[in-house]
Amino acid sequence: MNFRPTIVAFLCNWCAYTGADLAGTSRMRYAPNIRIIRVMCSGRIDPTFILTAFQQGADGVLICGCHPGDCHYQTGNYKCLRRFKLISKYIAQMGIEPERLKLEWISASEGKQFAELVNEMTKAILNVGPSKIKSTLEVKHLKS
Amino acid sequence: MEEPRIGVYICWCGNNIAKMVDVEAVAAEVGNLPNVVLAKTYKYMCSDPGQDLIIKDIRGHHLNRVIVAACSPRIHELTFRNAVEKAGINPYLFEMANIREQDSWVHTDRSEATKKAIDLVNAAIHRVRFHEPLQKRSVTVDPATLVIGGGISGMVAALEIANAGKQVYLVEKTDRLGGHVARFDLTFPHLSSAKQMIHPIIQRVENHPNIDVFKQSVIRDVSGYIGNFKALVQNGQPEPLELKFGNIIAATGLKSFDPSKIEEYGYGKFPDVVTSMEFEEILASGKVLTKHGKEPRNIAIIHCVGSRSKVYHEYCSRTCCMVALKFVNQIRAGLPECNIFEIYADMRAYGKGCEEFYAESTHRQIIFLMFDQQEKLPVIRQAEKTDDCNMLIEMDEKLSGESIEVPVDMVVLMVNMEAHDDVKDVVHAIGVSLCGNQFFIEKHPKLDPVATTTGGVYIVGTCQGPKDIPDSVAQARAAAARILATIAQGSVAVEVTTAFVNEEFCCGCQTCIRVCPYTAISFKEDKKSSEVNEVLCKGCGTCGSACPSGAITSKHFTDRQILSEIEGIMSMSYKEI
Repeated sequence: MNFRPTIVAFLCNWCAYTGADLAGTSRMRYAPNIRIIRVMCSGRIDPTFILTAFQQGADGVLICGCHPGDCHYQTGNYKCLRRFKLISKYIAQMGIEPERLKLEWISASEGKQFAELVNEMTKAILNVGPSKIKSTLEVKHLKS
Repeated sequence: MEEPRIGVYICWCGNNIAKMVDVEAVAAEVGNLPNVVLAKTYKYMCSDPGQDLIIKDIRGHHLNRVIVAACSPRIHELTFRNAVEKAGINPYLFEMANIREQDSWVHTDRSEATKKAIDLVNAAIHRVRFHEPLQKRSVTVDPATLVIGGGISGMVAALEIANAGKQVYLVEKTDRLGGHVARFDLTFPHLSSAKQMIHPIIQRVENHPNIDVFKQSVIRDVSGYIGNFKALVQNGQPEPLELKFGNIIAATGLKSFDPSKIEEYGYGKFPDVVTSMEFEEILASGKVLTKHGKEPRNIAIIHCVGSRSKVYHEYCSRTCCMVALKFVNQIRAGLPECNIFEIYADMRAYGKGCEEFYAESTHRQIIFLMFDQQEKLPVIRQAEKTDDCNMLIEMDEKLSGESIEVPVDMVVLMVNMEAHDDVKDVVHAIGVSLCGNQFFIEKHPKLDPVATTTGGVYIVGTCQGPKDIPDSVAQARAAAARILATIAQGSVAVEVTTAFVNEEFCCGCQTCIRVCPYTAISFKEDKKSSEVNEVLCKGCGTCGSACPSGAITSKHFTDRQILSEIEGIMSMSYKEI
């Protein structure tokens, strides 16, 4: 059975989502495992979103926002970065491998970088294998 | 909430989507999901028949939610929102799934791309169930306009607006108006005088009762939103001046590439190697002379300096080929005996009258020499005392296949147009985005090359990309027309996807107030809860994710909506094949 990872990505509307669109208009090719959710700002990405994605069975979660200093809403990406650092520690304690959560800055012009990022992350997730969080949660649920 | 009745439309986008995504399979897969009343495919959803299809179905099937899976919502979300609104549905009960830019165009495996499309449409279905109608909000439009940049684009836009009786603030960084055009001698392809064209425009701008010109000034601290911006003008005075305006036009232009970066051309080392802008001034002086005051007997013009290069800029600067031909005509007029060498990589002569201008210029006894830019650039070196010239250009001539030496007394480098070093300051001030070449990004590359994704902010002239005078002027007048239209209406619809505090749940911790970049949230002492000023809120949603008690709703990006989207993506995930 082939492992087909699912990566849930949260992209800010102004930089990263536009960059991902540019990868499309430039016909760059990348791995098809990513599913993009658009938010207006990376500052909107609630830690709950990340945890829910893992809980629902995502093998990886990718967060992309504007480069530091370039946030459309001035500082939302810095807030995202702080939350990311906290949630990274938290998911490690939950037994989620650190490779499964990634934060990268992608500008509206970085279509190529986005395509490369998706390929790299897909490769990394293929290496760590399927996430066990969903099944672990299900077992616990049965016991309780 | 009424039971959702969802209509799903999968666009083929001709072959753009249908080639890589099995659109019928997507429709079949999602058609039976709960709340989905119908799932259809159509060749071009954005076309009038495509939109009519939605409108008819909304009426005929009593749909109250609509999903279109097509291109990026950045392209057509508004189109479809307007369409559903026509049929009587609140535009926010619409959702788009991006299966072109982020699916069919980036994947090569049809079955994978189809599965991805199914997941994305399913995510949209899950999300749209929790959409809520939002009421449009409009604000009054301040009839004044800020124009940043006093080149031809900025001035033409300013005049267009000022002539309609509206106030314009024109802010120019340097001490003079006219930009690059004021430094040109003649223009192509008609060889008419640039100065005779630009000077009356400068006069009209400076004397116009409705235009306030601020030279040697920069704009800072821009705040507000479409219809109601304010900013400070800093012009050396101790106290900056505060301006209020409803719209912004960025006309900040481009600058010449610095050719000293290209060692082969020896710019800065050889005094008679000059840039195209410097040559304009030489021509304007009335006589082409070398730095030693001699009439040059051999002049070479080297094309694509910094353009169409893997090392410097990959893009074409669009105007330099024609400017080079203009130079050829001007040199020939003054120096009938001079040898003129056009050292080019490709001759690009598009634009009205330009191919004809090229054909005609070839009769001026010019020697055209071609070089391969990707292989080897021509190299300029000092001539020996025994040579009958000032410098020698060594080059591999592509058409003959021979390595040759070209004698020259003067070399004109057709330099690329590139972004200003301080372009990021403008970007941050007015909230526009830059493309990879540091040009401002337009709202839509074809259908809206004048507006930006920030409401009330327009881009004109070369700051949007290299272009010639007619294109710059057309864009400037287009932006002015757009702005005059909003001023005429007096009010404009603004973002309604703002944040909202539920007083019942607010614990009064004021975390939201600390994270808000727009000071849009205040604390109401009497109720001990936070309150969002909807006019100031730009809808980033940062407060929503910071609120520890879940009291803040980011409208149209609610927790419920986004969590449902995640569920939608994951609910169909095909783990094994």
